Amino acid sequence: MNEKARTRVGGPEDPREGLEAVVALRRTLEALEAAQVENAFIAGWSYARIAEVLGVTKQAVHKKHAKRIRAKYPGRPPGRGGA
Amino acid sequence: MLGHDSLGDEDLLLGILSTDAGVGAEALRSLGVTLEGAREESEEMLSDALASIGVSLEGVRREAGDVFDMSIPSGRKIPYSPVAKNALVRARREMKMLGDDQFGTEHVLLGILANRDGTAVRMLVRLGVAPEALEDRLRELRGRAAG
Repeated sequence: MNEKARTRVGGPEDPREGLEAVVALRRTLEALEAAQVENAFIAGWSYARIAEVLGVTKQAVHKKHAKRIRAKYPGRPPGRGGA
Repeated sequence: MLGHDSLGDEDLLLGILSTDAGVGAEALRSLGVTLEGAREESEEMLSDALASIGVSLEGVRREAGDVFDMSIPSGRKIPYSPVAKNALVRARREMKMLGDDQFGTEHVLLGILANRDGTAVRMLVRLGVAPEALEDRLRELRGRAAG
């Protein structure tokens, strides 16, 4: 970690860094979700089961991830794994 | 970067660098800014922001495995951020003010540079490029093209 990382940020004295951390975390969260949905798909999980664990509808998962995953793994149907 | 709800002015900058042709990329390259370097700096800025709240990008990457990817997903429509939109509006104005009839990367770059508080300018500064120096270089290269 660099010098900046050890400084306490995000307090009222440094709103910019605090806000930028929110943006960075949001971007990381999106990438992490994409990765974990893909990991679950590779493990044979169905979109229904993935959606259940993510706490969203199956349609929502499908809309957000199915196209990307289908393009990356052509000819591989989503798994029937689990609920 | 990904996870993108919107494309920021730093993404416009990366876009300019990814087109080899154009006065914009030429000016940036002449000051030592490469696409590779800018991408790394962009990720470094994101990593620093995460580190400031105790999150390690490396840690996330390690745990999520090989499929974790922070790059902009292709094929997904992502809107421009208000800051990026402003830069583009400003770019068009620069084009008109300069009397050019072709919209080029130099205009976009001037539009980006108009916002000294933007992420793109802060990225350039971190890369050792003063906004004024880049502006001068752009006008220099334009002058050469015109003459």
